[in-house]
Amino acid sequence: MRKRVRIALTGNPNVGKTTLFNALTGSRQHVGNWPGVTVEKKTGRINRNGYDIEIVDLPGTYSLTAYSADEIVARDFILEEKPDVVVQVVDATNLERNLYLTTQLAELGAPVVIALNMADAAEARGDAIDRERLSAFLEIPVVRTVGTRGDGIGDLLDAAIREVKTSPHHKHAVCYGAEVEAMIASLVDALAIDRALTARYPRRWLAVKLLEGDENVLARVREGPASIHVQNLLSSIDVDGYEASMADKRYEAIAAILPQVHRTDTRGATFSDMVDRVVTNRYLGIPIFLALMWGAFELTFTVATPFMTVIDTLVAWLAGFATGSIEPAWLGSLIGDGIVSGVGAVLIFLPNIFILFLILAILEDSGYLARAAFIMDRPLHALGLPGKAFIPMLIGFGCNVPAIMATRSIEGEKDRLIAILVNPFMSCSARLPVYVLFAGAFFEARAGGVIFFLYVLGIVVAVVSAKLFRSTILRGESSPFIMEMPPYRLPTATTSLRHMWSRGSLYLRKAGTVILFGAMIVWLLASLPYGVEYGSEGSLAGSIGHLVEPLVAPLGFDWKVAVALIFGFLAKEVVVGSLGVLYGTGEESLSGALFADPNLSAATALALMVFALLYMPCVATLGVIRKETGSWRWTGFAIAYGLAVAWLLAFAVGHLAPVFTGGV
Amino acid sequence: MNNGMKILFGAVSGVLYAVFGLLQIARAVFGPVESLQALLIPGNIFNGFVLLVIGSVLLAGVRRLFGGREDGMPFVYVGILLSVGFGLVELLALCALGADAYLVGEWADRSAADAANPLLYLAVIGVLGLLVWGKEFFRGVWAA
Repeated sequence: MRKRVRIALTGNPNVGKTTLFNALTGSRQHVGNWPGVTVEKKTGRINRNGYDIEIVDLPGTYSLTAYSADEIVARDFILEEKPDVVVQVVDATNLERNLYLTTQLAELGAPVVIALNMADAAEARGDAIDRERLSAFLEIPVVRTVGTRGDGIGDLLDAAIREVKTSPHHKHAVCYGAEVEAMIASLVDALAIDRALTARYPRRWLAVKLLEGDENVLARVREGPASIHVQNLLSSIDVDGYEASMADKRYEAIAAILPQVHRTDTRGATFSDMVDRVVTNRYLGIPIFLALMWGAFELTFTVATPFMTVIDTLVAWLAGFATGSIEPAWLGSLIGDGIVSGVGAVLIFLPNIFILFLILAILEDSGYLARAAFIMDRPLHALGLPGKAFIPMLIGFGCNVPAIMATRSIEGEKDRLIAILVNPFMSCSARLPVYVLFAGAFFEARAGGVIFFLYVLGIVVAVVSAKLFRSTILRGESSPFIMEMPPYRLPTATTSLRHMWSRGSLYLRKAGTVILFGAMIVWLLASLPYGVEYGSEGSLAGSIGHLVEPLVAPLGFDWKVAVALIFGFLAKEVVVGSLGVLYGTGEESLSGALFADPNLSAATALALMVFALLYMPCVATLGVIRKETGSWRWTGFAIAYGLAVAWLLAFAVGHLAPVFTGGV
Repeated sequence: MNNGMKILFGAVSGVLYAVFGLLQIARAVFGPVESLQALLIPGNIFNGFVLLVIGSVLLAGVRRLFGGREDGMPFVYVGILLSVGFGLVELLALCALGADAYLVGEWADRSAADAANPLLYLAVIGVLGLLVWGKEFFRGVWAA
């Protein structure tokens, strides 16, 4: 019979846990060169030497005293699920900070194995780590790994299996000095009467956590018989002072070990140091970030152009062929006008989506996006958002759903709520087809600049809204931003292309599901009642559009645009799909049909793009807002606020744009 | 190569980028100027902004190096990197638009002047800088 082993992968944020998890299990979970990529635990399996091994990848955490939602997930798993072995992934280029968590894991008495990851990076910069001595000092096996290449994976698994059989673990503990140790001893005695609690957790560990002011442990003690005695002891001391002193003692213990096991090269400034001096410069950092974003959108728009032309030609031909050749006529219309025109209108933008995701993957893998979060901290903090919120905002350029989940790394509840509410203003990839379609049709050579403007507008609306929320409904101070800068790395083609594909393929999948469904519904509404001219004002779609038209008429939108915007609630790409169906373009391209529509002008197109950017989160985003806030009230607020802001700004843009476009 | 060469390189390229950036923004705002037609500068605020950013980075490096500060070097290096990077962006855009013009049968309507753009031709300076100092700059970068 096969023996089962459960391994938890833990460690500080951005040390390569998920890369190692992928190497161990053969999974393809998303990895990124910044902290906070993993916010939920992920599980994979592998067989080795007769063992059925379950590996759980946990979100990054700096300590076992958890503050943010993702840190709590990691801490609770180690405490409550009690894995057979905890593999702590340690960044070999930053031993001191990483070993802080090691001291806490050892204190817990958990069987630990250290994966000394990114060992190649440490060696490349001239560091030398004596693993055997480190292992002897810590009484923990230390295995050299390079997650990106899969080096040391077998050794790591073997060490973990050996550790399961070893008992007892880690006799050494950090000594916190006479005063603190005396208090620990008193608390250990006081806790003895709570047998239920002490059967689950080591008494010394509980005492240490109580002295660190761990709310979670305190709540558990309050439920038991030791509550009064423990609270009396705690009320006699300054817990904050104890916590700081205990952290100092841990670092002292690490500092005593490090010189004996670690030799570092001091050859002066590294490539990362040099680039950081410039890209995080107080005055040049933000202009450089904006310039890079402009470059990204310029590439997204222009490089995709020939590919779009080919797809556009194919779609137009296929739609014309289906409508003209398939019998009966209604079936030809369903396939040609509905499915091919609707889904095809969205598929045309596939090259843009893939190029944008490739550029974002390169920026992310290189480590630049972490710097972008750092440089945005100052303006964001001034406006009431923590800099940490900028990482979910950047993820929002891809999709708002994982972006909102990524807010779990934000500690303060109000900070997190603000970050959730403003995230839908970040322009996700689903909105890109709307911009490319209208900017391409009405702004030609300036299309790249118009798209860049829309992305910047999304950021501006998000930060201004954050300021508004912070000074009205969610008053308070934003928490400080502490983030370790990952080193710059040259992105590999395989990793970047894999990132591009994993995100871009979601868009493809949507085209075959939500967008197809939306296109068929719009076709049906455009074809009924029976006998009506397809897509005319007399159709059901026309009736719905006319019902909503008075609300959007001040923005310059007609009933067709109104219908497209309504169905954009399913997914923003459906706006384009619906227009494809309603304009029934046949062999003519959709952008040509829009340009020829006398009801549309450059100003209306700009207003429409602004409205599509801001008007309301799609149904999937609303679902995740509901889940993460746990409140229908805030979900409703996100809808109402988005609609109001979109309407006002689209109105302003629609009326001001003619001044700049010469009334075109 | 000593710092004097880097200062000269940074100063010349920084000034060129900044001036061309201002000219490109000016052309976008005020329209074409007859005497500057030969410089092949199209009007584009965003391109002008990027040119100004690159010029500012290079000149910030020169200012520091003049003051005897070694931390000016990274600015010159990053300026070079930005110059080459944005030159590459423009080159890719140019190739893509050319391919599209060929596909839609508008190839014959295009001229070299349409394609010219300061971000593209000034990148030659960045490429030269990269060839001379690239090795020194990229020391210590490893693949992810």
